[in-house]
Amino acid sequence: MTRTIRLSLDINERRYEIDVEPRVTLLDALRDHAGLSGTKKGCDQGQCGACTCHIDGQRVLSCLTLAAQAEGRKITTIEGIAAANGDLHPVQLAFIEHDAFQCGYCTPGQIMSAVACIREGRTGSDEEIREYMSGNLCRCGAYNSIVAAVREAAEMADA
Amino acid sequence: MLDFSYTRARSAEEARAAAGEPAARLLAGGTTLLDLAKCGVERPDTVIDISHLDGLSDILVDGTGASIGALAKMSAVADRADIRHAFPAVSQSLSLAASQQLRNMATIGGNLLQRTRCPYFRDPATFPDCNKRNPGSGCAALGGVTRNQAILGTSDHCIATYHGDLAVALVAFDATVRTDRREVPIDAFFLTPDDRPEQETVLDKGEMITGLTIPATVAARQSTYLKVRDRQSYEFAAASAAIGLDLEADGVTIRDLRVALGGVATKPWRARTVEAALIGKPVRPEIIAEASRLAVEGAVSHGGNHYKIELAPRVVARAILTVAAHLNPDLNPALGETA
Amino acid sequence: MTIMEPRKHGSSADGAVGGRLSRFEGRLKITGEAVYALEYPAERLAHAVLIQSTIAAGLVTSVAIDDALAAPGVLMVLTPEDDLGLTVSADWQGNRPEEKPYYPLPRQVEFNGQSIVAVIAESREQAEEAARLVRITYAPQEGVASLEDPKAGEGKRLDQLSVAWGDAEAALARSPVRIEATYRTPREYHCAMEPHGLTAAWEGDQLTIWEPSQWAHGMARMYAEWFSLPVENVRIVSPFIGGGFGSKGQPLAYGAVAVAAARKLGRPVRLAVTRPQNFTSYGGRAATRQTIALGATEDGILQAIVHRGASETSVYADVPEQTGAATPILYKVENFSSESRVVPVNTVSPGALRGPGKNPSAFGIECAMEELAHALGMDPLELRLKNYADRDYQSGKPWSTRMLREALTQGAEAFGWARRSAAPRSMRRGNKLIGWGIGCGTFPVIRAPSEAMIRILANGRVQVVSGSIDMGQGTYTILAQTASEALGVPVEEVDVILGDSSLPGAAIAGGSMLAGSITGAVHKAAQAARDELIGLALSEAGSPFRDTGANTLAIAGGRISAREDGPSLTLPQLMAALGRDEIEVRRNTLTDDVQSAEDQKKAWTTMSRVQGPTMGDYSMHSWCAHFAEVEVDEDFGTVRVSRMVSAFDCGRLYNPKLVESQWRGGIIMGIGQALLEEGVIDPRNGRTMNANLGDYLVPTNADIPDLQVISVGVPDLNASALGGKGVGEVGIVGVAPAIANAVFHATGKRVRDLPITLEKLI
Repeated sequence: MTRTIRLSLDINERRYEIDVEPRVTLLDALRDHAGLSGTKKGCDQGQCGACTCHIDGQRVLSCLTLAAQAEGRKITTIEGIAAANGDLHPVQLAFIEHDAFQCGYCTPGQIMSAVACIREGRTGSDEEIREYMSGNLCRCGAYNSIVAAVREAAEMADA
Repeated sequence: MLDFSYTRARSAEEARAAAGEPAARLLAGGTTLLDLAKCGVERPDTVIDISHLDGLSDILVDGTGASIGALAKMSAVADRADIRHAFPAVSQSLSLAASQQLRNMATIGGNLLQRTRCPYFRDPATFPDCNKRNPGSGCAALGGVTRNQAILGTSDHCIATYHGDLAVALVAFDATVRTDRREVPIDAFFLTPDDRPEQETVLDKGEMITGLTIPATVAARQSTYLKVRDRQSYEFAAASAAIGLDLEADGVTIRDLRVALGGVATKPWRARTVEAALIGKPVRPEIIAEASRLAVEGAVSHGGNHYKIELAPRVVARAILTVAAHLNPDLNPALGETA
Repeated sequence: MTIMEPRKHGSSADGAVGGRLSRFEGRLKITGEAVYALEYPAERLAHAVLIQSTIAAGLVTSVAIDDALAAPGVLMVLTPEDDLGLTVSADWQGNRPEEKPYYPLPRQVEFNGQSIVAVIAESREQAEEAARLVRITYAPQEGVASLEDPKAGEGKRLDQLSVAWGDAEAALARSPVRIEATYRTPREYHCAMEPHGLTAAWEGDQLTIWEPSQWAHGMARMYAEWFSLPVENVRIVSPFIGGGFGSKGQPLAYGAVAVAAARKLGRPVRLAVTRPQNFTSYGGRAATRQTIALGATEDGILQAIVHRGASETSVYADVPEQTGAATPILYKVENFSSESRVVPVNTVSPGALRGPGKNPSAFGIECAMEELAHALGMDPLELRLKNYADRDYQSGKPWSTRMLREALTQGAEAFGWARRSAAPRSMRRGNKLIGWGIGCGTFPVIRAPSEAMIRILANGRVQVVSGSIDMGQGTYTILAQTASEALGVPVEEVDVILGDSSLPGAAIAGGSMLAGSITGAVHKAAQAARDELIGLALSEAGSPFRDTGANTLAIAGGRISAREDGPSLTLPQLMAALGRDEIEVRRNTLTDDVQSAEDQKKAWTTMSRVQGPTMGDYSMHSWCAHFAEVEVDEDFGTVRVSRMVSAFDCGRLYNPKLVESQWRGGIIMGIGQALLEEGVIDPRNGRTMNANLGDYLVPTNADIPDLQVISVGVPDLNASALGGKGVGEVGIVGVAPAIANAVFHATGKRVRDLPITLEKLI
């Protein structure tokens, strides 16, 4: 039998005990073992950004991260960014308001990237937002609206 | 991915000891190793996670230069104000690479060791012939799709491009790679394929990069990294250039120049002939353009990549003129608003 | 970070048809709660992975599977040796060959990247590892790698695609000004962000498939035919689909494999097609080549168009990409000739990709028109207006609505076209050359019937129930708006349930035909529900309206009353008074003569009731005009689209906010097509060498400037019940020629083969 290891992952401030093979990526662990399918698999090879989540507050690609590597780190996914009382994150609201998505499949990754982009202070101009959101492909082509949503959410965060 | 065991190293010594095993691989950012494991190129039986080790991610900048730990993240280095100030080309080469997510993952040491994007290398099921993967098996890229293959440093055995950006800037500014055993000038760290394409660097099995040193120079402080590609972002270079420039007090004569090329060669490519041809010469577009052609001396076209022979010198020339115009704004009209 | 209060949307009218209601299902998508096909949990799930061929053509002579079978967790390996017991399904029209067997894992390899073997294991990782242990031996045959392969030949002429009127050759020969050129487009791919795949589960002879689908009913029918089941036994579940763009309208070989494996194993099976495998598991847009000759008078009146097109197809099916699709209808011309060929090559059969036919066709004719304008020394806008088509010369029918003139003039105004300096290479910004270009586009109005159900519940909530699909184009939202308006209930009181073949049938979410079709059905059902409710309120014993003497009642804002200022009841109050738990009304838009159960089944599961743009009294199409500005760095050959204005005639817009998003999406895909996208094929073995999202380049956020979109349409009630024409396809059509024309204007270089990459300009 294939060897599995027991991991204790800190996801969205909750502890998940999962048994996985060492080769299981964080993305697959989230989707298939932790029941958190909000994080999407678009390419599974680091080329689309759909699997973006946060590790210790930094945006990363969960498809190129082993679940085992993330043990001991603080993992945040799309399911964990609304406030504890259920209020949506400003970036989420701005995405709805600006229609910053169509099919919705790249959207969790876009939002996780946008939250980090604002935190990184990379929203000084539309050009800067575009560049720092370019790691998240959107084939429906919501880019104009994504820029508008990030810009607005950044302004709200500054206010 | 094939099954492997996972070990989290508790110390650098432990990691090095474990990494000496034949099918063991060190795992830092994971952006190369896991990607290639999924392609079937890398088949580790043991993965030794060094990403949690302390003390290998420090970034120190002083008057003599920069010292960067092997586990420092690309984004952490790129975003440092002191790196941006003393080594703009280094900072830019990092910022223009990959995406912010990948830069938050990938380490400096791992970045140097990223492997080629050659599509034949990355498709072992279809193309068993790859001297890099399987020494002596041949090179499927020869006679195939070559748009992104190298024009410089190639051999009959391999034409795969080194696609990294950071190393190009490091080669321009004479950085040193520190390992647990030695210090190696970066230009000597990378190997051209010759008849041993599988050997990409001088690292021995089990030897581990611990950091980098970049000496502070005027040229490094007055530098730029110019990357030309089809897509505006999130793509490897069609051609790139790291340029450092110092001018004499007259603001026109070139005192020092560093030129390195990316996206066109089998390793980060220092173009010393361009430097030699221009030191002592005035910054004039036609002189720069002519000397920049020396950057592709000895280039070999494989058809689809022929354009790189035309493109690379233009990237070099533009980058030189951009820095020059920045240093001496009076040059701007003569340079045709290059900046 | 502060948490904002949810803001109110712009206007109370947003809930009605035509309002800018925000995406109805948006909250599910921004929280990660929207569940996509591969995310449905299943007990005892097994995982299948595909192994694809690595040669272009040949026979599979042996498959060594012992090592794979011995690997940990492996349950089964399927090879060409296994007869899965399938029969070929009917085509989209419903025509089915007699009992012809279907082999989704074939012995004869027809293209590189064809599925040959499937490995099924307890986990995906185990299946992947075992797949590496399978050894396939081939007897290779000579293959044809691509349309440009010298072995490809001229292919075969498709008579049904030949169009001619007048005497084009003679008129061309007589024309004082002539241009002729050949234009090429490469193989292009959908690259929907959600990769293909499915989960299949059997319960007895009942089959449930969770798979992203643009057409749940049609796919259920095709699966049923493969597996010799009544169509009622197959249920496709697809409430959310991560983009399709034409790729998810029919089941594919991998689907047959997963369903067959699930049957053999007696367990649910999930098969996730990897991103690289997506490039050859279904066809993208075929590579095309077309030669266009235009003849005109010296003052720019078109005299003749001669078009000769060819597109690649597979060696096992003739699927044309119709490069002559837009050529006959964009301009007034008295002499016209078009012929098309398909050239078999060893590729997966091409599929429909956004703006099929019209898109490469517009690239040809719209580049040719600017080449003619240049030859004439005439402004390309003026040339287009001068040759404006007053009717459809191909069908001879009048246009239903055609606001292309307004699109051209209002687009030009918004773009500032009048400030264009005519000569190529005459506009600069810094060290960049600037160029402006125009490209017109069109897509036919395709009409299809649909069915819908409206339920009014005791609590006053209204359900819209339909098997139609929302892949991001906005079906949830516009159906909520349609029901809200027709019933007179606030949109917040409406729920929309979609994406399931067990629900009422609907047109495919493709060919821009769904919105016009399904809004018609929902509108009809909602009006009937309203009539029924009012009828009950006037006649039922418990109703307070029974004895008011009113002839009818009004429903507005969710309240029912005899007069606007009279006493009113809420819907829950009325339902309680009527003693009803629910009122359910189901309506379809089929004509009365085809209402039998069999007729209905066929209507929802085939294309047999679909009507083309000229099947009525009019010729009906959406139209657009794109104005593009490019910046070209001539040293590097790099092109950046710096500005675009696009004006559209898509009739009435059901929700402008979502329509604008779709238009921009089409334009962005067009920018990718113009500058980046190209399937790169190894000429030796037909392998797709850039089968991933790092090498097959689609636009990133940084590639896209602000895109201004303008609606110039008017309601077209011939086109659809509510007056809309298609929106999703037309946006991409004309973008690539607008950019190619702008590049010519910037540089003086005419690039006739897409994409316009840097080596073509340096």
